[in-house]
Amino acid sequence: MGAWLEETLTWGNALLFFLWGVILLAIVLGFVTYAIFFERKVIGWMQYRIGPNRVGPWGLLQSVADIAKLLIKEDTIPRKADRVLFILAPALAYVPAFAVLAVIPYTQNLYFADINVGLLYYVALSGISTIAIVLGGWASNNKYALLGGMRSAAQMISYEVPLVISVVGVIMMSGTLNLRSIADQQGDWFWQWNFIPQIIGFVVFVIAAVSELNRTPFDLPEAESELVAGYHVEYSGFRFAFFMLTEYVYVYAIAALTTVLFLGGWHAPFPFLTWVPGIIWFLLKFSFIVFFLFWIRATLPRIRVDQLMGLGWKVLLPVSILNVFLTAVYLELFVK
Amino acid sequence: MFNFNFSGEFVAFFVFAVMIISGAVLMVSFAKVVHMVVSLAAVFIGVAGMFVLLEAEFLAFVQVLIYAGAVSILMIFGIMMTKHQEADAEQAKPLHETLTAIGALALFGILFYAIRQSDFPEPEQALAQGTDNTMEIGKLLFTQYVIPFELVSVLLTVAFIGAIVLAKKEAE
Repeated sequence: MGAWLEETLTWGNALLFFLWGVILLAIVLGFVTYAIFFERKVIGWMQYRIGPNRVGPWGLLQSVADIAKLLIKEDTIPRKADRVLFILAPALAYVPAFAVLAVIPYTQNLYFADINVGLLYYVALSGISTIAIVLGGWASNNKYALLGGMRSAAQMISYEVPLVISVVGVIMMSGTLNLRSIADQQGDWFWQWNFIPQIIGFVVFVIAAVSELNRTPFDLPEAESELVAGYHVEYSGFRFAFFMLTEYVYVYAIAALTTVLFLGGWHAPFPFLTWVPGIIWFLLKFSFIVFFLFWIRATLPRIRVDQLMGLGWKVLLPVSILNVFLTAVYLELFVK
Repeated sequence: MFNFNFSGEFVAFFVFAVMIISGAVLMVSFAKVVHMVVSLAAVFIGVAGMFVLLEAEFLAFVQVLIYAGAVSILMIFGIMMTKHQEADAEQAKPLHETLTAIGALALFGILFYAIRQSDFPEPEQALAQGTDNTMEIGKLLFTQYVIPFELVSVLLTVAFIGAIVLAKKEAE
């Protein structure tokens, strides 16, 4: 990719960039469609229901039908809303969500961009979605939307700090911010993956990641029972679909990032299993994380807003800083 | 002058340049404060893009993280907490405006002259293409610039404690 950027930009090259983008977009949209379907199915089974089973065989076309419904729905913009920002916010939320996917390496050779500071790129861009959520909440000119947007911003800022500090341990162990090298350096036995040596960092990362995704038990920004729907109360039709899409694309991104950082990326858990292609291992671990997110959504209640802030600042932040300190001591005493 | 190489880098430069300039112009001309902050954020992102083109990736994404992310959200928060009403159009003051225009033009002239006049010395040993500049920044920060670095961290800690003290006083 880098080599093409240096070349003269011919129509052929531009087409190539465009096609790769479209392919990734198609994969992501397919993932989102079926992630929503499986989420409903899995939660249904866990709650002793059947889940969607009417549209298409085994209900497989349920999400497709839902998306079609959203797309042909009337698009309403409140009269007193700030029209420009109201229209801008969903797009501004989605663009960074899609852009962060560029640095995720799937296997040794299958990746889009091999940036030196891949991890930093991810963290930096995902912060922009927060602006979009606040703007969407503010532009709606609705008190529930504004409250939801405020909560969301407070939550995402508070949990971004432990999220970033919890991966510092991984960065110190691998000595790079490049996601491909981080995944590459983890060994072929499963205890050589980062989640065992960095178990504190891993736990903090997972909790903070769930919170960054605004998912249960941390889905306060859209707490239906208190805020109607949070920052997207006033949105309908395809603008609402964009916010939903953003949320699920971040599920994809976080699941892939966790796999790469802590679960060894494309490595097999045992050296004698390396004949299975790396992409299969990546997908297995990735699917497990996605399932794990659905699982905790089905089983955990929502926490209160003061508990949320307390957990972020008083528990996760000190623990993640302690993790950095312990990693530094370990590296100094036993590695150097 | 116009025999440039039409590469992807060149196109990206123009996209970012347009983003910076239009963001800056809109920032000045918008009436609503929230709109101004959004266009300011666009400028920050454009500048980060320029850093990427200059192969300073670390600087670029820190710019996005701190300015486009944290600073913009802070400003939006601050604005939302206050009343948001469009400022009434002020009465035109011809003399004032003329003086401002002269001042702005003079400032532009000085800056432009200074930029044209100064020569940028080549660093003694330039970084080889493709070195990990994050690592190099880290090394410099903890060797040559360790005292300024520590001073900045002390300053930030002081500001942090000051903010807590102010917030505490207000809560009581």
